[in-house]
Amino acid sequence: MRQDTMTPKERFTAFLTGKPMDRFLCVPLILNHAARVNGVKVGAYNRDGRLMGQCHADAWRRYGHDLIAIFSDTAILAEAMGTGLDFQEDDVPLVERPAVSIPGDLSRLVTTQAHTLGRLPLFIEAVRVAVAAVGSEVPVSCCVPAPFTTAACLRGTDQFARDLIRNRVLALKLLKLSTATACDFANDILDAGGIPVVVDPVATGSVLSLRMFEEFAQPCLKELHGAISRRGCPAVLHICGQTSRILDAMVGTNANLLSLDDISMAEARDRVGGRIGLMGNVRPTQTLLKGNAEDVTREVRTLCDIGRGCARGFILGSGCEVPIATASRNIDAMMSAVQEYGQMK
Amino acid sequence: MNPLHKELANAVVAMDEERAVAAANRVVAEGLDPYLAITEGLSAGMRKVGELYDSGEYFVPEILICSDAMNAAIAVLKPHIKADATRKPVKVILGVIEGDIHDIGKNIVKILLDAAGYEVIDLGRNVTAERFVEAARAAGGGIIGLSSLMSTTLENMARVVRGLKEAGLRGDFRVMIGGASASARFAAEIDADGFGRNAKEAVELADRLSRSLPCARTQ
Repeated sequence: MRQDTMTPKERFTAFLTGKPMDRFLCVPLILNHAARVNGVKVGAYNRDGRLMGQCHADAWRRYGHDLIAIFSDTAILAEAMGTGLDFQEDDVPLVERPAVSIPGDLSRLVTTQAHTLGRLPLFIEAVRVAVAAVGSEVPVSCCVPAPFTTAACLRGTDQFARDLIRNRVLALKLLKLSTATACDFANDILDAGGIPVVVDPVATGSVLSLRMFEEFAQPCLKELHGAISRRGCPAVLHICGQTSRILDAMVGTNANLLSLDDISMAEARDRVGGRIGLMGNVRPTQTLLKGNAEDVTREVRTLCDIGRGCARGFILGSGCEVPIATASRNIDAMMSAVQEYGQMK
Repeated sequence: MNPLHKELANAVVAMDEERAVAAANRVVAEGLDPYLAITEGLSAGMRKVGELYDSGEYFVPEILICSDAMNAAIAVLKPHIKADATRKPVKVILGVIEGDIHDIGKNIVKILLDAAGYEVIDLGRNVTAERFVEAARAAGGGIIGLSSLMSTTLENMARVVRGLKEAGLRGDFRVMIGGASASARFAAEIDADGFGRNAKEAVELADRLSRSLPCARTQ
């Protein structure tokens, strides 16, 4: 077994500055699974910033992955702006009462200082706790729900989807307000020493056409990525699901790194790997949850071979969130496989 | 094809609610069979919408607007359907399995099943096996559609099938499963009756499965 010669932080800095690394960065998206690592219920984890930060620091001590990613669910900005959630004892909360269930509710939306409301301060606390505990060795990121996803949580996904055709004015207003809150929250994460990672699960290619992605999702992502870049931080965009149709448009959001899920990484490399860094995409359910260590190793090895052809950089990641119930040995296998097969040349 | 049926189908595909309602009003004014207008006109339009979704031309927003147009026209036609003209529709109990909150796929399946003439009982998302069995007992017979995106929840699908057996209801129902984490092999493993890869396949599967239902229960 080869040994690492760099800390995750050194490796991450080398990645950003184009310096040599001992191996590819390895980022299994350990999000709510962090609660499992020290036996905490997800419902307790996602309502307590200190606990959340500690869980992520502990999860990192357990797995040694190259990026901590603090996350609960993608409704947190909508929640701060007025959407009601239904919390679960040991799972992520669900959108229960969209803030703008009828267009007239728009005026009741919380739009000033929304980034200080709801659970948002708790995520900032989690970032601070994780940075204080292990930030000298590993970079700490925190997920920012993208404006399109937030707007869908403000209105209810089905209604928002209808608005895109029937009530563009309302859709664009919701997107504008969501963008402002997202930019504020991203800045708060940066102030706390974290890296914002933009996640846009609703704007996926299986829900939206390319034309609608370009019209509604892309401009807001551009603005948000611009706000992050202006702070000297790389803009990272994760979109779940099938993104083949919208891949070029994702590059057009001015992100520096795309985290990809259900798409052939070889196809992504050939199409956009010369223009943007790519991250992904060990299959979260088929491989990490249901597979065994050999399945994980085989997939990591194949992805590393593809990654060596990515001109603008490659990070070995999971396609989406590591399922909460994933066996620790499969995450260990992912880390070991990158140490073994993730050399850059 | 009757020109008014064609107009209803085209209005649905064109996402034009006003046109669909106008055509439905003409069906009523001309004394045409409103039941046929739904099955031959509106449903035919939604079948085309399903094909456009399948081929990547229509997406979720388009489907929702098409179904709104269809439902607006159905609202015009329904009061004029004579009771004896309606075939009792097959019931489909539909839900996203416990542990999963991703319901966009399930909602699309619901729209297309509705359009195809099924009576859809939508249990929503994060539905326990017990609630599926309860709904099955109340419905008496038909199809159960289980959806799951996250593989963490697959075991809960197996629990629904087991629950139906324990309640003595398995023979009255056909169980179909769908969603990114399911597969035909998994369907066979848990003794479900079929797997649909996408919404279009789900409707085709429901059509196939409903033909094998015990007749006494579906009439």
